[in-house]
This record gives sequence, structure tokens and C-alpha cells, in this order.
Amino acid sequence: MVDMVITESQATQGVTEAFNAASVELLTKGEPAWLREGREQAWSVYEQTPMPNTRLEEWRYTDLTRLLQLASLRLPEVEVGPGSASTWPDRLRETTEQNREAAGHIVLIDGHVVHADIDPVLAEQGVILDSLHDALTLHPELVKEHLGSAVSADDGKLEALNMAMWADGIFVYVPSAVRLDLPIRVTRWISQAGAAYFSRVLIVAEAQSQVSYVDEVVSDDFDTQTLKSSAVELVAGAGAVLQYVTVQRAGSGVFVHSAQRTLAERDARIDTLNVGLGGSVHRVDLNAKLLGPGANSEMLGLYFGDGNQHFDFNTSQDHTEPNTGSDLLYKGALDGASRAVFRGIIRVLPGAQRTDAYQTNRNLLLSSGARADSLPNLEIEADDVKCSHGATVGELDTEAKFYLMSRGLDKVQAERLVVLGFLGEVLSRLPLGGVIEKVTGAIEEKLSQHG
Amino acid sequence: MTDASILRIEGLEAKVADEDLSILKGLTLDIGKGEIHAIMGPNGSGKSTLAKVLAGHPGYEATMGSVEFRGADLLDLEADERSQAGVFLAFQYPVEIPGVSIANFLRTAVQAHLPEDEELDVFDFTDILMERMEMLEMDVAFAERHVNDGFSGGEKKRNEILQMAMLKPKLAVMDETDSGLDIDALKIVASGVNKLSEEDPEMSVLLITHYQRLLDYIKPDFVHVMVDGRIVKSGGPEVALELEAGGYSEFETASAS
Ligand SMILES: Nc1ncnc2c1ncn2[C@@H]1O[C@H](COP(=O)(O)OP(=O)(O)O)[C@@H](O)[C@H]1O
Ligand SMILES: [Mg+2]
Repeated sequence: MVDMVITESQATQGVTEAFNAASVELLTKGEPAWLREGREQAWSVYEQTPMPNTRLEEWRYTDLTRLLQLASLRLPEVEVGPGSASTWPDRLRETTEQNREAAGHIVLIDGHVVHADIDPVLAEQGVILDSLHDALTLHPELVKEHLGSAVSADDGKLEALNMAMWADGIFVYVPSAVRLDLPIRVTRWISQAGAAYFSRVLIVAEAQSQVSYVDEVVSDDFDTQTLKSSAVELVAGAGAVLQYVTVQRAGSGVFVHSAQRTLAERDARIDTLNVGLGGSVHRVDLNAKLLGPGANSEMLGLYFGDGNQHFDFNTSQDHTEPNTGSDLLYKGALDGASRAVFRGIIRVLPGAQRTDAYQTNRNLLLSSGARADSLPNLEIEADDVKCSHGATVGELDTEAKFYLMSRGLDKVQAERLVVLGFLGEVLSRLPLGGVIEKVTGAIEEKLSQHG
Repeated sequence: MTDASILRIEGLEAKVADEDLSILKGLTLDIGKGEIHAIMGPNGSGKSTLAKVLAGHPGYEATMGSVEFRGADLLDLEADERSQAGVFLAFQYPVEIPGVSIANFLRTAVQAHLPEDEELDVFDFTDILMERMEMLEMDVAFAERHVNDGFSGGEKKRNEILQMAMLKPKLAVMDETDSGLDIDALKIVASGVNKLSEEDPEMSVLLITHYQRLLDYIKPDFVHVMVDGRIVKSGGPEVALELEAGGYSEFETASAS
């Protein structure tokens, strides 16, 4: 660790013992010049960008000064995790065992790759699945072309910090017309309380290719706040199909921030599914860009909160070209004193005629202490479009519960069926192998604690 | 038909749980094992309330009287316990449960009716479900549809009888199962109920209806007229025919006086 004195004004801008110019400098060791410059530039953006506060519309319900203890975070110890699965933590092993069926796997413990494999037939066809560090050495041109092209330091304070400080990452590249039948599966375990993990995901699907990717994070509960920051860049060339699923099952104490942007070229389709189950705070900034005529995006979200969990989904759907479509559905159930914020905007530029854009957020409150705020929004500058937005916050239907109980189901089973049915709509729209079962199982686990 | 009583309602009074609104005002009714009873009465007389009170709807509160079901105090049981004990209510307005398939729902319900240590055999269950759906002339694809979600009125009613056929109750309360059914569907539903009666001659049925029509296909042993929360007349099937001719006006003036 680098000793240095942090002034008060630096501290208010998030310069801390762990996050400072010197720690960025350490990370650049051995990296190519363009990347070093990228980090340094990101750091200076970070320093100059004020910490978002609740006066900003996008952060109105998520008070970082209260929820994020930047100053007490430290960088993870460099400990290379155990390589053989038999010595992995039980939960990690169980999780990876459920994920067998795949085109390839990466397992990370505290950001270190402890397992990687890929279907050799796909590797032969030029499919790349690597840690970002390895990809920098093996495929420098590809990484240079795309890294930071979707999520950059200019997107915000936390994005700038990620760009300056990222320590691990995943790089997926699918050449033109290569189609993967099974998803790529990435499983992450984080173990160090109080650590800040910065990672990036970069997926490039060239024209007419097809790939699906499932990223899952699991951890124990932590007493000290632990940060998991990620930047996710999804790029689909003409006619490509890219599906991205992230399942957040971190333990309590984890502050999760995920900045995601999708860039869909002509006739491409990029679908995303954000599942939020664990952690203490989970904020997603997702921007879908429909960049070419005929591009499409399905944007799905599912969350189940309990205790004091806080979810905040901030989404935007940008239509710049004609005949583009986006369809967003975020659904969540909230128990205990948990809270969810959904803030979404559909933007249709004048040139984007014949756009179909939809946005729906539905919340189910399972307790009187839970709360959901939903702020859907439209900004339409074209006249020949089909757009709609809607939001609901409701309680568990007592008639539905009675109906099920009158068939012999007890109260817990009745609630379980209603909640799973409500949330299941989201999962059924992106039925990737094993995801439905896994997420349903995790929700059932949370429901079994419902009082 | 036996003399043994399965359901004995004595002077039952019930009101809306969180309001000062009484609906059942001293209702007495005795149903024997294997008997088919029909309750007829004008809109608003409290027929559905009676059905829901019997099924344990939390929105109503019994304030007076007693309900004995197979010797036990029914009012003491939760809705799920009543179902497990053998009470079934075919709803007048079945509830939509989005996202929950009929097959999944019924599997859970049938499992809930088994003794605690008994695990449902999924293959047997599927066989029985298919057979029951065939009996009710339902398409097999129906099993994968979400419970009542987007169903037509007739489909909802048929789905109620499917559930009844899967749960094999000792007492089936059917609340206006005939409304919303065309004549063909009505015949199918009625023959389904009759078949269940044949399978289990001890099953009792309480039919709630407006119309004689249903009673042409499911023949009641007793017919009761309900007005303003009470049974005002009981008799054999001829009572239904009299009502068909004369309507309820006779009883309504009687109860108002
Ligand atoms: N939950 C309730 N809240 C308020 N009024 C109710 C409620 N349930 C029933 N009622 C009233 O009680 C009366 C009887 O209703 P119901 O039992 O549905 O009659 P029926 O089925 O005979 O038509 C009606 O006047 C109805 O409006
Ligand atoms: Mg009624």
C-alpha cells in the first residue's frame, strides 16, 4: 500500500488511501502505453468529477454519501486463489457445478482466474474467451479497438474510477458468422471483506454471429462494506445476436455497481437480463444504443429484496435509427424494509421513424416496510413510432392467496407460487440453460425466510 | 344416500370482516353424505358469502352459530386445512394467477392433500391429470396455460371442475358454475360432476345457482331458497320448478316484513 496524505478536498472527491494517482500508476505496470494513458486520463476525470449526490435526478433515491463508504475501502490483497475445484468454497463449487453445460467457463476468485476452458471446436473457429489481461497480450489490437468504446470514464464518477482502477476482466470475441449454441459461463467468488473489486466485461460479437453469456457473482456475507464495480461493454455487429445475463448473488455488505452499455448495429439484437438477489446496495446504469436500422434490444430485470437491501436500476433506450426496437421489462418483489428504484427513459431521435419502444416496471410489495419508486419516462422526437411506458407498485393479491389456499396450499406455498409466477414472466423471456432453475431456486431460498 | 351428516350449519351469522355489514343472518342447513343440495336465491342474498365462509375466506367473519364438517368445527380451520379436510369451492369468479401453470399449481395442490410423509409420484399425477382433462374435454395444452390468466368465462369454470376432479373433495360447493357456460359446456361440466359422484358416492354437493337449467343435468335431492342471508324454504326438486314459475317475489316480501 502506498502511504500518502489525503487532504479534505481530495477526500470529498473520493481520493482515498486506496484510490489515488499512485495506486493507478501501480496498475499500469507492464501495460501498453495506450492503456496506461487511458487509466491516467480516467483518473483525472475521476478527480475532477464531483461525487454524484441526490440533487441529481439520476441519483435522487440513492444517496452515495450515505450508502458508499469509499474511504474505508481498500484494494484486495493479491492472493492467488486455489486452482483446484476441490479446495474452492462450497458455494462457489455448487454454483459452478450447476453451470456445467456451456460453450466455455471462467471461474474467478477475487478477480484471479482459477479455471478457464472453452470448447476446442469454437477456439478453432476463432472464438476467444480470456481474461482481459491475457487478451491484452494475445489479442492487443482487438482489445484496443473496443475497450472503453461503450463504457468510458466520461460516463460518470464511478465509471471513471472503474476505468482507472480495473484489475480483472473478461474478454469474449466471436468472429463473423460463428454461432455458439450454449452460453459462456463466468462465475465469480469474492472473499475479502472491505475490498474494492473493479472488473470489466467486453463482449464483441461480429456480424451474423451469435453468443450468450451468463455472469454470476456469489460471496459470503461481509461485516464491512465491500465494493464490486463492473463496466460491461456489449458490442454486436450487423445481424449478430448477443445475450447477456448477470446474476448477482453476493452476500450482505456488498455494494454492487454495474455500468452497462449495449451497441447494436444494423439488424443486430442485444438482450440483457439483470438479476439482483444479493448484496446490500445494487445499482445498475444500463444504456441500450440501437445504432443501426433494424437493431433490437430486449432489456430484462428481476430483483428480490429483503432486509435493508437497496436496488436502483437506471436505464435508457436510445433509438437513433429507423425500424429499431427495444422492449424493457423490470420486475421485482420486495420484502422486509427493502427498497427499489427504477428510473428509465426511452429516447427516440427524429431520424428513428418506425421505432417500437416499450418500458414496463412492476413491483410487488411483500411487506408494509418495503418501498418501490418507479419513474418511467419518454422523450420522443419522431412521429411515426410505437412507444409505451408503465409502472405499477402493488401488494400481494389476497384473493389470489385465498384461491390457492382453498386448494390446500399453505400460506407460504401460496405466496411462493404468486411471487414466482409474477417474477417468472421475466425469466421466461430469456430462457437460457439453467438460469431459470438457478434464479428460481435462489428466490425460493429468500422466500423461505419471508415472515 | 345415508343419514349421516357431513355438513351441519346452525344459526350461522357472518359479516364482512372489517366492516359492520352482516350478510348471513341465522342460516341453518344440514347436508348428508352423498346428498346433492341446491341453493337458489336472488342476487345479493348472500349465496357467495356462504360459499366463501365455508371455504375460509379471511374477508368474512362468522359472528354467531356453528359449522360442523365431518364432526369437526370447520370455522376453526384455515382455508388450506379445510381443503385438506375435503371441502372444495368452485368459485363464482375464479382468480387469475399469472405466471403459474395449471400443471404446476395442481401438482402443488395434490401434494398438499397427501399425508406429510408421502411424495407425489409425478408420472401418476400426469396420467391422472391427462385423464381428467380428457373427461372434461379439455385440450392437453391447457395444462401449461397460466391459471385462469386470459381464460374465457367458460374456460375458467371448466378449470374449476378440473381442480375438483383432481382434489376429490368430500364436499363440493359450486358457486354459479353454470353461469358463463353455453349448453354444450354445461353438459360436459355436469357429466364431469356426475362422474365424480359415481366414483365417490359419499361426495356431497352444494350447488349454488340462479337457474333451473343446471338442475336438469345435476339432479338435486334437496332445494333451498335463500333470501337475505337465511334459508326461507326447503324441499325437493319441485321447489326449483316452482321458483322457475313464480320467481322470488313471494319470499322477498316475506323476508322484508
Ligand atoms: N366483501 C364485501 N364487502 C362489502 N359488501 C359485500 C362483501 N361481500 C358481499 N357483500 C354484499 O353482501 C351481499 C351478498 O353478496 P353475495 O354473497 O355475493 O350475494 P350472492 O352471491 O347471493 O349474489 C351483497 O349485497 C354484496 O354486495
Ligand atoms: Mg354470488
